Amino acid sequence: MAITHKRRDAAIWGWTLFVLVVVYLPIACGALASFNKSRYFGFPVKQYSTDWWGKTVDSIEIGMIVKTSISVALLVTVFSVVIATFGALAFARYDWKGRRLYQKLILLPIFFPQPVLGLAMLLGFNAVGIQTSWMTAVFAHMVWIVPVVTLVIAIQVYGFDPSLEEAAFDLGCSRLQVLREVTLPLLWPGIWSGMLFAFLLSWSNFPLSLYTTGADSTIPEWLYAKMVAGYTPMVPALGTMATLGAAALLLAGGLVGMLVRRRATA
Amino acid sequence: MLQTLPTEAALADAPPKPILQLVGVRKTFGSFAAVENIDLDVREGEFLTIVGPSGSGKTTLLRMLAGMDTPSEGNITLHGELINDVPPNKRPTCLVFQSLALFPHKSVGENIAFPLKVKGVDAAARKARALELMRIVRLPESYHDKNVMKCSGGERQRVALARALAYDPEVLFFDEPLSAIDYKLKKTLEKELKDLHRETGKTFIYITHSLEEAMVMSDRIGVMRAGRLVQVGTPEEIYGAPVDRFVCEFVGEVNTIRVKRGPDGLWSGVDVPGSFKVAPPQDGAALDEAFVVVRPEFMRFLGPGESADNRLEGTVYNEYSLGSRIQYQVRVEAKGGEKVMLVELSRARALPPGADPHVTLGWDAADAFTLES
Repeated sequence: MAITHKRRDAAIWGWTLFVLVVVYLPIACGALASFNKSRYFGFPVKQYSTDWWGKTVDSIEIGMIVKTSISVALLVTVFSVVIATFGALAFARYDWKGRRLYQKLILLPIFFPQPVLGLAMLLGFNAVGIQTSWMTAVFAHMVWIVPVVTLVIAIQVYGFDPSLEEAAFDLGCSRLQVLREVTLPLLWPGIWSGMLFAFLLSWSNFPLSLYTTGADSTIPEWLYAKMVAGYTPMVPALGTMATLGAAALLLAGGLVGMLVRRRATA
Repeated sequence: MLQTLPTEAALADAPPKPILQLVGVRKTFGSFAAVENIDLDVREGEFLTIVGPSGSGKTTLLRMLAGMDTPSEGNITLHGELINDVPPNKRPTCLVFQSLALFPHKSVGENIAFPLKVKGVDAAARKARALELMRIVRLPESYHDKNVMKCSGGERQRVALARALAYDPEVLFFDEPLSAIDYKLKKTLEKELKDLHRETGKTFIYITHSLEEAMVMSDRIGVMRAGRLVQVGTPEEIYGAPVDRFVCEFVGEVNTIRVKRGPDGLWSGVDVPGSFKVAPPQDGAALDEAFVVVRPEFMRFLGPGESADNRLEGTVYNEYSLGSRIQYQVRVEAKGGEKVMLVELSRARALPPGADPHVTLGWDAADAFTLES
């Protein structure tokens, strides 16, 4: 018995380690490449330097690209969360004719191949005569991200007793007071997760941006373009920065969520 | 014990004006009628309990009274004013939910003061009132800032009750709030609720599937079946003079004997041979066929030389302890086999161990009643 347990534990640990290496080694390689003094990556790294990181931070072009990515991600976050919150309530709470169809339709875009979705939207923008720019990319991202965020928030809606809203209404609340005093505070954890999802999915999206940003460029687009032509270690440097930024956001988000929960259950 | 409660007859002498009045109220969902043609006057200040098996429409009825559903037909009036379509936040009524519906993101004090916050009462006055209500429902003051989800089941009941009282409603509705509470605590809370009813003087309308709960607390009980209000009356009336077999069997176990009018004018048994005496007024004088009904606690075992208006020979074949009482199952001779009669005795009058199982059952004419067959 003891021996089989040991074997099983060893297998679990071995597998876990393998997965971790597969997932995180490429990211570590990217970081390593960005600290390489020479222009082209070779292993082992002969001479380390932070020159390319400095150049990346100082680059005006990269500054604009980062600004575009942040703008797109922020707008996508705000719009998606508002639409998804009310969508999730309609999705999970209220019973109305056509609800089942709506539940299916709203989730469908998640399964569309994104390059096809991007191309379709580019053609659509052209057809109605809209000039593509980072603002059309906001719309394109939302087509894919709103369903995801709706799903995340809907899980929270399913998780709380609808009689809480009825009780608030019964105790004298107007519809707006019910929303402010009961519904939104209880949905808060779901909304918070939804916000993180929306920002990070937009931040890392490549296929939709490629078709719909027009002359503007986001971080993933720039990384791709420079890989195709004009590689410098600024590519892995920016890639590593984008990854670290996302990780920091996730960490901060998790921390805020935990603090709020701790205060609520104090 | 129950003499202090006003009886139906005493209330009829000075009929108080109904606070709530239902006329022909009906609620349908598609082709299904959940509530069917209900007429009911609720008197100001009374404790009215609606009992019925699950699916009998009592929750639907309560939701219409609270304003969360609107009747498909009929009228509900409060102080004579039609309130069919008045939303819950505009009604001077408040519902204590089965789930209690306490706000998990608010403290005990915040939950209780919630209706006051909605009304725009300032924080200091809110806190003072919350503490006052906590005293009324017997919650310690230190609970004011406690997380409501960390309270026990009984404490949550009290928070829900205090929150409803903070709204200062004229009518309080209760949707089986005690159904998930253990027996001993339930008994305590039932009595506290009854006390609170007396202290506040408000009208309470309570629904439950437990007749025991209804009997302990209510001034009047309404029995529902399949969307209809079958009988409304004091606990004594419901127990002692049920209108039909459903009510009769719902409010407790019974022995029934099918009878028809014999040539001597007495009831003659159809299934159990013999003739049976039932005292007026519930002797079914106008009927030719009926059931004679005797509750198990009115049956006794007759010793040698003891007499009773009605007698049956039988054999004890089973006994169950009901705590303070013992129930016996007794087989008696009947057409086409045997029939089981139930006898309930207090422990003090129980059959001694090893007693002869052949017994004579006896009951008095005044303790039996008839029901239309």
